Amino acid sequence: MTEPDRSYSGPLERVDECCYRIPKSYRPGMRVDGLIFADERLIEHVRSDRAAEQVANVAFLPGIQAASLAMPDIHWGYGFCIGGVCATDPAAGGVVSPGGVGYDINCGVRLVRTNLTLADVQPVLVQLVNQLIRDVPVGVGQGGRHVFSPAELRQLMREGVEYLVHRGLATDDDRACTEAEGCIADARPELVSDRALARGQDQCGTVGAGNHFIEVQVVDRVEDPLAASAFGLAVGQICVLIHSGSRGLGYQVCDDALRALRDAPAKYGITLPDRQLVCAPVESPEGRHYLGAMRAAANYAFCNRQLLMWQVREVFARVLKKPWNSLGMELVYDVAHNIAKIEEHTVGHQRKAVCVHRKGATRAFPAGHHDIPDRYRAVGQPVIIPGDMGRASWVLLGGPRSLERSFGTTCHGAGRCLSRTAATRAAKGRNIQHELERGGVIARSRSREGLAEEQPAAYKDVDVVVDVVHRAGLSTKVARLRPLGVIKG
Amino acid sequence: MRRWQPAYNRVMYEVFEHTADLGLRIVAPSLEVLLAEAGVGLFEIIAGDVGQIRPRMERSFDVAGTDPEWLLLDWMTELLAAFTVEKMLFREFTVTVHSTGLHGTARGEPYDPAVHTLAHEVKAVTQHELAVRRSATGWEATLVVDI
Repeated sequence: MTEPDRSYSGPLERVDECCYRIPKSYRPGMRVDGLIFADERLIEHVRSDRAAEQVANVAFLPGIQAASLAMPDIHWGYGFCIGGVCATDPAAGGVVSPGGVGYDINCGVRLVRTNLTLADVQPVLVQLVNQLIRDVPVGVGQGGRHVFSPAELRQLMREGVEYLVHRGLATDDDRACTEAEGCIADARPELVSDRALARGQDQCGTVGAGNHFIEVQVVDRVEDPLAASAFGLAVGQICVLIHSGSRGLGYQVCDDALRALRDAPAKYGITLPDRQLVCAPVESPEGRHYLGAMRAAANYAFCNRQLLMWQVREVFARVLKKPWNSLGMELVYDVAHNIAKIEEHTVGHQRKAVCVHRKGATRAFPAGHHDIPDRYRAVGQPVIIPGDMGRASWVLLGGPRSLERSFGTTCHGAGRCLSRTAATRAAKGRNIQHELERGGVIARSRSREGLAEEQPAAYKDVDVVVDVVHRAGLSTKVARLRPLGVIKG
Repeated sequence: MRRWQPAYNRVMYEVFEHTADLGLRIVAPSLEVLLAEAGVGLFEIIAGDVGQIRPRMERSFDVAGTDPEWLLLDWMTELLAAFTVEKMLFREFTVTVHSTGLHGTARGEPYDPAVHTLAHEVKAVTQHELAVRRSATGWEATLVVDI
């Protein structure tokens, strides 16, 4: 068995200092160009796997608008690349594709600020991280303490974070600082299968494994004082970053949809270059079914991150011996980075409702947009970008050019540059936990694989990725955060 | 690249590289053995080492379909569901393919954190790079699981 060549050798034409084009002439059937936001530092990564070919494949989808887009943290996914953005027009036969969202529906991040400084936390940091991994469910096969009956799960998926407000597990401010106020309208929980409910019953409030984590961080640099002040962030301040999604419930909703849609392309006369792009018109029974179930799973994910934050607050209160609200543990913002949403955008000179798929890509609306919470509308939407556990994460601001260039979207992280097997090989004979500790990061993981596969070297440099989206005007730098402690699966 | 060679000849799976996920490539003398080996490969990814799983209990599965690729995908998905919903870990598999689908048995035990360590959370078995084909010596397949 020989390894096939997995690099991309097709065209990548330089558009400007931060963007490359795959012309639609590259392959017959492409309806639009592919556009990849990257610079000369990242373009070799882009060529190293099949992700760029996937950008070209997405350009085949019926109803696609403007271009098939990819962010600088692009890497090889299944069907769609990670970092992919695709908007389709339902009125022009535009499709919705579960592969454009991914298995982890509404995977996303939330940032919690505190009124603590590095000096407050440093003496108890090890205790804090140890308590987090003891008290917050993390890792494969770890159920949580919040178990929901099928009826309760359906209500949670219909109401989103509001359901947890009523149960005393969220505040009104938490809800207000979550994308879509923690509830995407028109969710159809009754379309979520029994198997998905079974997978999700004890997983709301659990981190999971893979690249998910909870990280204690300190703000080490502020680049935009005005926006940082609006987000309640200052140099030296302790924050907590939470990265997780819709857990087994969401994976099952995606799996169910992929199975249900197997015959849809033939039924609707859609020719696809890769069957993982399986899709149906947004305005079809199959398309509406998927969107209804996907929104329900997305609301579950908002609740998952809310329950994780609630448990983090309890751990901080226990270790620091003060109620969490006196520690100033308020939610800055919660953003989805795997989702499909119907949004209004201007395409050409026409204002229209389009179905925006963001797979490993984050909404980044600029100042004044009506979907931004009142408290942030004057400055712009906070965008949270997790990096890797050794270097940095970023808070950005929805950029002035995001609406015209990327359907109001920016990157979602650093993006992998090493496969899991390559990272494991690279970790052989090393102790990643000790290496991180020498670099000032206390890391705790439930599995050996967790740290080896997710080691900093497995990711691109998030500073470079963020620099590209900043220069491209998709989102601008507000604050850089440095990791202090992390728990992983 | 991890390779695993069972006692009988000409059967093998290996885990191959995929940027964010893990791929499985299987070679076997027959479709039935290939499907059984794919089961071992899946639980090697989940548990890291299937040797820690004791074959104390048996579960049966019936999967409908005649296309070998969909059959492999649906069989893997059923096995994954047995882990994600009922927390079952398996190490031994027997598969019979018939005219309308397959009948499979899997032997293992429920996950017990005191006994088992787990390596990966497999979100799903994907259609990406899914291929099942005849080869000069039997059958071979590739599939990618989402981590």
